[in-house]
Amino acid sequence: MKIIGASVPRPDALDKVTGAARYPADLVKAGMLHAAAVFAHRAHARILNIEASGARALPGVHAVLTAADVPYNRFGLIVADQALLCEDVVRFYGDRVALVVADSAAIARDGAARVNVSYEDLPAVTSAQAALAPGAQRVHADRSNVLLHQKIRKGDVAAGFLQADVILEGKFTTGWQEHAYLQPDAGISYWEGEKLVLETAGQWLHEDRRQIAAMFEMPEENVVIRYAKIGGAFGGREDLSLPPLVALAAWKLRRPVAMVWNREESIIGHHKRHPFTITTKWGAKRDGTIVAAEIESIADGGAYASTSVEVLKCASIFACGPYSIPNVATDGIVVYTNNVPSGAFRGFGTPQAHFAAESMVTRLAHALGLDPADVRRKNLYKEGDIETTGHPLPPGVSVRAVFERCLEEKAARFALPARRPEPANSLRRGIGIACGIKNVGYSFGFPEQATATVELDATPAEIRGAIVRVGAAEVGQGAHLVLRQIAAETLELPLEAVRMVTDDSSEAPNTGSASASRMTFMGGRAVKDAAEAARRNWVAGAKPEATVQYRPPRTTPLDLETGDGIPNYCYGYSAQAVEVEVDVLTGVTRVLRVISVHDVGRAINRQQVEGQIEGCLAQAVGYALTENMPARDGKLLTPYFSTYLLPTTLDMPTEIYPVIVESADPNGPFGARGVAEMPLVPFAPAVAAAIFDATGAWVSDLPMTPERVLRAIEETRRRTTASAEALVR
Amino acid sequence: MARVEVEVNGTRHELEGVEPRLLLVHFLRERLGLTGTHIGCDTSSCGACTVLLDGKSVKSCTMFAVQADGRAVTTIEGLGSSAELHPMQEAFWAQHGLQCGFCTTGMIMSAVDLLRRIPNPSEGEIRAGLEGNLCRCTGYENIVAAVRAAAAALAAMETPKTIGELVEVGGR
Repeated sequence: MKIIGASVPRPDALDKVTGAARYPADLVKAGMLHAAAVFAHRAHARILNIEASGARALPGVHAVLTAADVPYNRFGLIVADQALLCEDVVRFYGDRVALVVADSAAIARDGAARVNVSYEDLPAVTSAQAALAPGAQRVHADRSNVLLHQKIRKGDVAAGFLQADVILEGKFTTGWQEHAYLQPDAGISYWEGEKLVLETAGQWLHEDRRQIAAMFEMPEENVVIRYAKIGGAFGGREDLSLPPLVALAAWKLRRPVAMVWNREESIIGHHKRHPFTITTKWGAKRDGTIVAAEIESIADGGAYASTSVEVLKCASIFACGPYSIPNVATDGIVVYTNNVPSGAFRGFGTPQAHFAAESMVTRLAHALGLDPADVRRKNLYKEGDIETTGHPLPPGVSVRAVFERCLEEKAARFALPARRPEPANSLRRGIGIACGIKNVGYSFGFPEQATATVELDATPAEIRGAIVRVGAAEVGQGAHLVLRQIAAETLELPLEAVRMVTDDSSEAPNTGSASASRMTFMGGRAVKDAAEAARRNWVAGAKPEATVQYRPPRTTPLDLETGDGIPNYCYGYSAQAVEVEVDVLTGVTRVLRVISVHDVGRAINRQQVEGQIEGCLAQAVGYALTENMPARDGKLLTPYFSTYLLPTTLDMPTEIYPVIVESADPNGPFGARGVAEMPLVPFAPAVAAAIFDATGAWVSDLPMTPERVLRAIEETRRRTTASAEALVR
Repeated sequence: MARVEVEVNGTRHELEGVEPRLLLVHFLRERLGLTGTHIGCDTSSCGACTVLLDGKSVKSCTMFAVQADGRAVTTIEGLGSSAELHPMQEAFWAQHGLQCGFCTTGMIMSAVDLLRRIPNPSEGEIRAGLEGNLCRCTGYENIVAAVRAAAAALAAMETPKTIGELVEVGGR
């Protein structure tokens, strides 16, 4: 093997470094019409009237479209509960009520400002707790605010707590996180004969096509989705936001239309990571054996369903982290509110669950006077362990090896004096560790498949080249190169002899989404199988091509009351060690060093795996420390990059050690698992543990802003002083 | 409406009817079709629109096109071509200093200006110099490595040239 594992430079880099790469907003051409949306800018209200004559009278305005213009005015990834343009009620600030189409973007925006919508405000439900209160206002009149209440029951928690020598309780909250993909949402749409074409950015060609075809009541084959270069996604382009709007304008007016959102529109207009409130109680024996855990996780799903129920289930099955605990009771509840919808974001409920679980494991260790590493060693999953959902883990449980590797790296790299001299009076340093588990691919019986076609250019004597058709979104992660490497390796061809057809829903088959860390595993396996099948056909003298649909081992839905089920077919395991420096006068926390260890099964392209780890860590630093998105009465208060603080070069640690462990998955191509989400999973609790190590204070709310760190330090100081005084008395 | 005379990537442009409030970035993208300069925010926070103005980096969303009158602008399209990449472009490719690529062009322009000011920067100087450019994909590690590699490549290019000149002098 020569191409697998090699750090082959990415071919798309040439266009990206010269500016030749075309992102959606670069596709706008002279003569196109431009669309601008009229946003609701209120949390919950009934639409009384839409007065559009002022906009229509504006020279250059071609149309003002409303709900009546959408044939089937519903969409959504799992439940179609969202209107493209609201017909009677708006349910969050970013809801759209009208679309103005004009000769220029400036006129369209001007027109949008002249659309006068009269509303009757309705009581707004602006927190998950409010949504659950007795007699709460319904967000959707025809259904309960509770999207899902998932229980998981294993063993007997009451009996478990009786065996415990120490029982700790904890309450954790996490906030919204914005994807902040750097390329704001944009697209163009036009008719090509009988086909409606949409060129945009997304994460799943064929799912975008399914939802958009349904909205315009068109056969799916008459809708063509083409992805331009995609400027990041991270789960944020899984839900349709701008794309169906520009498609509506083109569909209706039968003219090419362009639409480009500014950053504020992008932030208020698309979903976020779910805020969670996790209330939890853990019990352990004196030797560190964890005997029981009780966890209630309440998530704010926002105004529309998106993927909330799946996120909640992931948060529920990982509520105990990667630990084998005999007695567990988890209650996960996700609700509708009048806040911004929550949905997929790198980690998919797992970072929130781990923040609580891993913090509790470290707290238990301190309460018992044990080393947090030893408590982990005692309880970490091993091969054959039963998940809380009642069945054995998928084979290849490597978390113990991953954790030991992390400890070795920590000993080697953090080996300077155990406690270095404090750089200044107010600066304190500390080290924290945490572990993580996250599924690769779709869970809970969701139909999981990936399809690829390989067409060989071959003479009877030799295979000269191949065309690989695979509908995999290249969101920046390097999927196209990795899939090409897999094809080249399988067919023993040089990389240049493999041509990829990937970005057009009518030219490439359905490979599923670029999400859930699944594309290398699922797309890669489909490409590998198709390449092998095409070669078999060639050897047999048949037409040298093949289309293969790969289906991984079966998963099943979870029983609502017990959680019984087989949730996943593959896991990625992680362990991290971080060193932080806290200024105890200001609460400002900096991450100085990170060791991030991941079992990726097999690194198809080492350089890109390391790139995924480093990039994901930047989002993890933001999630843990800087990215604060508060809301007031449903309104997001930091909808700009000037107020929503993404990590810069100066916020990132200068020492990052990505460590790749390769314990092959039995089904992944060449043993590959997945990596994209993994570094986000244990990071925040590792930082929390490091802050505790540095200051003696636990922070239980994400992000751990300076204010929160300072408050935690002050509260801890007050408690210590109080107990010291009590002792004196 | 204003008249703007500006040199962009070595070509002189004289444009009539420029709306005085038109930002330089929109002028470059919409009037000249130079879409390698990207728009990532609207608050001059992200740096995706960075270009060189008379050789110095500037966020092209922070100035009006009319302010570029009589001056020279270099965009990513003028830095190098796919046939002959600028060493900074070469380094971002080789060091895997990009993923989605959206921040890359602005990042490269900032880095070019950084090396103009500090030819052999320390890691701290590189990080401080690129603080105004956001990247959401890479975690910056490989971007810093790319700038370091480009600095070395540029330094190496300087040296042979000097030797070449000496040889030429000697041969005379």
